[in-house]
Amino acid sequence: MTLSRREMLKAQAASVAALAANMSVPAEAQPVSGGVDTLQIKWSKAPCRFCGTGCGVMVGVKEGRVIATHGDMKADVNRGLNCIKGYFLSKIMYGSDRLTQPLLRKKNGVYAKDGEFTPVSWAEAFDTMAAKAKETLKAKGPTALGMFGSGQWTIFEGYAATKLMRAGFRSNNLDPNARHCMASAAYAFMRTFGMDEPMGCYDDFEHADAFVLWGSNMAEMHPILWTRVTDRRLGQPHVKVAVLSTFTHRSSDLADIPIVFKPGTDLAILNYIANHIISTGRVNKDFVEKHTTFVKGATDIGYGLRPDDPREVKARKAADPAATTPSDFEAYAAFVKDYTLEKVSALTGVEPGFLQQLAELYADPKRKVVSFWTMGFNQHVRGVWANQLVYNLHLLTGKISEPGNSPFSLTGQPSACGTAREVGTFAHRLPADMTVTNPEHRKHTEEIWRVPNGIIPEKPGYHAVEQDRMLKDGKLNFYWIQVNNNLQAAPNSSNETYPGYRNPENFVVVSDAYPTVTAMAADLILPAAMWVEKEGAYGNAERRTHVWHQLVNAPGEARSDLWQLMEFSKRFTTDEVWPAEILDANPNYRGKTLFDVLYRNGNVDKFALSEISPDYENQESKDFGFYVHKGLFEEYATFGRGHGHDLGPYELYHEVRGLRWPVVDGKETLWRYREGLDPYVQPGKGVEFYGNKDGKARIIAVPYEPPAESPDAEYDLWLVTGRVLEHWHSGSMTMRVPELYKAFPGARCFMHPEDARKRGLNQGAEITVISRRGEMRTRVETRGRNRMPPGVVFVPWFDASQLINKTTLDATDPISKQTDFKKCAVKIVPVSG
Amino acid sequence: MAERPAPRFHHISSAVVSALPAQVEAVLARIGEMPDTEVHRVENGKIVIVLEGSSTGVIGDRLAAIGLIDGVLSANMVFEQIEDLETLDDPGVIP
Repeated sequence: MTLSRREMLKAQAASVAALAANMSVPAEAQPVSGGVDTLQIKWSKAPCRFCGTGCGVMVGVKEGRVIATHGDMKADVNRGLNCIKGYFLSKIMYGSDRLTQPLLRKKNGVYAKDGEFTPVSWAEAFDTMAAKAKETLKAKGPTALGMFGSGQWTIFEGYAATKLMRAGFRSNNLDPNARHCMASAAYAFMRTFGMDEPMGCYDDFEHADAFVLWGSNMAEMHPILWTRVTDRRLGQPHVKVAVLSTFTHRSSDLADIPIVFKPGTDLAILNYIANHIISTGRVNKDFVEKHTTFVKGATDIGYGLRPDDPREVKARKAADPAATTPSDFEAYAAFVKDYTLEKVSALTGVEPGFLQQLAELYADPKRKVVSFWTMGFNQHVRGVWANQLVYNLHLLTGKISEPGNSPFSLTGQPSACGTAREVGTFAHRLPADMTVTNPEHRKHTEEIWRVPNGIIPEKPGYHAVEQDRMLKDGKLNFYWIQVNNNLQAAPNSSNETYPGYRNPENFVVVSDAYPTVTAMAADLILPAAMWVEKEGAYGNAERRTHVWHQLVNAPGEARSDLWQLMEFSKRFTTDEVWPAEILDANPNYRGKTLFDVLYRNGNVDKFALSEISPDYENQESKDFGFYVHKGLFEEYATFGRGHGHDLGPYELYHEVRGLRWPVVDGKETLWRYREGLDPYVQPGKGVEFYGNKDGKARIIAVPYEPPAESPDAEYDLWLVTGRVLEHWHSGSMTMRVPELYKAFPGARCFMHPEDARKRGLNQGAEITVISRRGEMRTRVETRGRNRMPPGVVFVPWFDASQLINKTTLDATDPISKQTDFKKCAVKIVPVSG
Repeated sequence: MAERPAPRFHHISSAVVSALPAQVEAVLARIGEMPDTEVHRVENGKIVIVLEGSSTGVIGDRLAAIGLIDGVLSANMVFEQIEDLETLDDPGVIP
């Protein structure tokens, strides 16, 4: 008997899949790409471009084009699996409307705010931009200059941007879109542990006895991680899964404890669990005594709205929302005692039995628990509190910093951790968890950057939502947006975002690969290279830094954001942007360009082009004459080495599938803060939360407080916004993959059938979703993947033709300044005719 | 207008689907109704399938549909081979 080649290949494909699924396979089955050789495909590794999971993919290039990708068997994160978005990675760069040249609004041959987009050269684009920046600096100073960056920036790009903004233009008005996605998580880490990012890693999943999802639909948003969770649950019958959400979704299918609670009341559930742990005598007293201290947080802290909003005027502590006062265990125990089962069940609408089962997962000393959360916690007017309240549970029970016991903040963007947080592109942050408000931190940063003392401004800049408000109010006049689609992403966009972009006083630049709604609202569009069109590095949710080579060239004149930042810096001299007194004191900096002082500073330009692998292209380095990426990386790594944020030598990252920091003596760290697992813990300490000077973590007493806006007689429904499996974030990439578009072509409003019936609406009926701020037309979905409770509707936000953010409220967590996209009030009416 | 050339390449992909144990049979039945999709292994709620098609798009589309079948917890792609159609059905390989 003979087998055709087709049969052989199918058998091989099945074997490889079985291997990836941990099924037993014949020894000869290996993950080889036999046969592809005949197609002359060159395979290289890279992290996926999409979410914060950080899967490894193999990227196949032929004739200068990415033609295929598949999951990387050698990547620890995904072990050869590739979710549906990742499967289409090879297509995201080849949308038919890819931007390939700079476009400037012009009228009669010159720039005009009301002009038409006209192709221009890079020289003209940068000249116009530089003139506008200089005009703004001269008229209003550095605080009128701002930049909105991204958790999709590579580490190099974020690092080059923070240098250009803070040390070059002397403006802290730099914020990433990650402000909309995980600022609450970052603040809570700092407030609890004095150090950002999770203590554990994905290896926790295979050690856990219970998983609790607090506002995270992993089945759709993090499919690969969800696969690891489902494998653990199905393989080990004792494992329990609890899924908490404001509606039933795909992740609920696996739940042993499915909980749908009223929006915002998760805070009460968290305090009830703490009360349950204490009242049933299950506090790990030894751990609590040795490794924690107690604080009480300020309450009635407002909602981060404009200061004249009545809700802010009324809030007692809106001016100082982050304040805490020392407390103790007894006071904390008395505080949570109020959160009784009966009271919390009534407030949340959750059956007492489910609440008790959930509390027992944490209270049972024999059960190892991983808690997960993403936007449900972070996009929450009390998001920092929610994060901290879940840490309380892990700290009270000592279930932290060891395999399987792990409070785990997941991230949405591929480098929200690596770039936004670690590099420090938030308006108040510097690399390695330092802040601009701390004079020592500024001084240390200036030394590493080799810029004069006093260059970095002390005052934090405008955060994301504030940037929009300041653009509208005419206080921020030069604005550069890179790698994000803020006009689609920002809350209350018709009233608070769009007006600022079109304010005649402002000049708005957008760097993107595609003509997003944000790009189309700009004055100048710069075409960007994306993903493997440049050398890059991302940092994922488990502290893994993953580097890739440039594998193809960008189309036309598109250039990486890194190239754009560095090239633009050549158009400014220190005399134009730095104060005379600093230059008087440091005359050797006079007459130099910002490129000279920031990037040709003896660090960044230290490595020759000859160090670049001859197998790969590197556009920026060839342009600037030195190995830009290595230089930026090594200078940046200086911040963290020896301080608990250690990165390994750059070359190493081209070999491995990422490493989890701190990387000490070439070894990554899987669990932090525990002796024997983390080299930074002093011998004999057992556990040491060394981010805080006293080595202890904080347990905080904060209450349930209601959302900024709740349904009433007129606006009678809760609106929750979010995502779907096929589309990632604003859809600017996934919407350009025809197959993904077809799978979920237009946003829908998911609604309970009874809510629809009461309004005379049938499945598929056209409706208008109306809030106090704006409206949006869409269609009713009473079936499908999300099953809504009465009174709550869900609309995904990926669809640029249906901008749900016209209706959302620009309320933020007052501490983290992160927007709450999950709770506002709307009404729904049929579209007549 | 130029005629669209017949596809020269054929894609053979494999994927791992995991399903709630109680619903594996129902999921298998649904997958069985799909064209160019074969079930190769079933073990502890995990289903190894092989998908064939003329493009990444056709296959990805089908995988997305599988991912949304009731009872399916996840559906992830593993491997893809792109083959020249001319040689694909050559007989004569002796296993």
